[in-house]
Amino acid sequence: MIKVEQLKKSFGENEVLKNINVEVKSREVVVVIGPSGSGKSTFLRCINRLESITEGRIYIEGVDITDKTTDINQVRTEVGMVFQQFNLFPHKTVIENIMLSPIKVRKVAKDQAREKGMELLRKVGLEDKANVYPDSLSGGQKQRIAIARALAMEPKIMLFDEPTSALDPEMVGEVLEVMKQLAKEGMTMIVVTHEMGFAREVGDRVIFMDGGYIVEENVPSEIFTNPKEERTKSFLSKVL
Amino acid sequence: MDFRLDIIVEYAPFLLKGTLLTLGLSISGVLIGTILGLFIGLGKIIRNRIISSPFVCYIAFFRGTPLFVQVLIVHFGVVPLFIHETNGIVAGIIALSLNSAAYVAEIFRSGIQSIDKGQMEASRSLGMTHVQAMKYVILPQAFKRIIPPLGNEFIALLKDSSIVSVVAAPELMYWATAMNTQYGRVWEPYLTASLIYLVLTLVLSFLLNRLERRLATE
Repeated sequence: MIKVEQLKKSFGENEVLKNINVEVKSREVVVVIGPSGSGKSTFLRCINRLESITEGRIYIEGVDITDKTTDINQVRTEVGMVFQQFNLFPHKTVIENIMLSPIKVRKVAKDQAREKGMELLRKVGLEDKANVYPDSLSGGQKQRIAIARALAMEPKIMLFDEPTSALDPEMVGEVLEVMKQLAKEGMTMIVVTHEMGFAREVGDRVIFMDGGYIVEENVPSEIFTNPKEERTKSFLSKVL
Repeated sequence: MDFRLDIIVEYAPFLLKGTLLTLGLSISGVLIGTILGLFIGLGKIIRNRIISSPFVCYIAFFRGTPLFVQVLIVHFGVVPLFIHETNGIVAGIIALSLNSAAYVAEIFRSGIQSIDKGQMEASRSLGMTHVQAMKYVILPQAFKRIIPPLGNEFIALLKDSSIVSVVAAPELMYWATAMNTQYGRVWEPYLTASLIYLVLTLVLSFLLNRLERRLATE
């Protein structure tokens, strides 16, 4: 479903991704962990080309998104993304946040978009917040809305960039719950996170990144109990 | 010191006409300046230096030279190129619009750049094009944020329109000066004109305040 080949990414002189090769299968949940500055967020952002790619190829369902002739907007409608800072549109109500892209990009009729939006709000447990502005919501609620907004485009893949890192501890659970539900429904997901419990419970595979490389990848039960690499061991000993 | 109300009464119809023209000049200047300014501001933030440089130069020129000089150039230089006889009102509208466009462009630019870049990223990640993201997400938020500085610019423009009296556009200051010349009086014409400007700017800032409050989402 996603195939990343020899991906390299530099910001000026600074090479943050050095030869990344990953394959993600349909319905798979891949969790990316690693110290800050290891390149995990950049890696995620390359997958829907929010970051330009210095070298290498990325295929999404066989389409080479690094090719200049590929319509990146089309690709992005298939790849949902959830940000650490939520990035809800503050000038629009919750339901308008969710409806905007389906209406403007997918050209869905308004009633239909609203119906679908309400359904998604029910799914994330916030249907009573449809007509309020994001500023009046808690962090956990905002992130659940952001997930609903991404899902409204009916993506085939969901990318999560540290979705719980900006949340107060008591709100982390409600967001992870929504993500678990999504995984259970068979969504293909790549999740950058520091929530090791989530990685262990929901992840099909864990990738440990450090210094712009994938240092180790394995099923969670292996990587958490029996890490092979020294760097993985030292990182896990600090976070577990 | 005596204060001759009678000459104010005598000049009242002229001052009223002048006030209407001042309003007309300011409103046209604001409207044309805002539209032009939006495009110039968008032009300036284009990353390609070659495309953005004309916009950068435009802003540098119109912000960097006195409005007084611009009015003279437009009146005696630019307008005669297009119509045979130059016209103070036309020249005034053009000069005020071009001048305010430069300031409005900077206001738009700073407003757009003050919006968190996560907003653009979220829009793009939802499949919107750059133009769609600007139109539906960035500009509506930027617009709300720039109302206060834009209001300042409108008030400044209203006052600066008095400069147009030097090319004989019969606005408020033109008539005040005429009154001063005819009677050799200082306080009556200029205090009256000041008072009228003050009323206009106070009304304008009141309206802007209301607009700002109406657009607040919290």
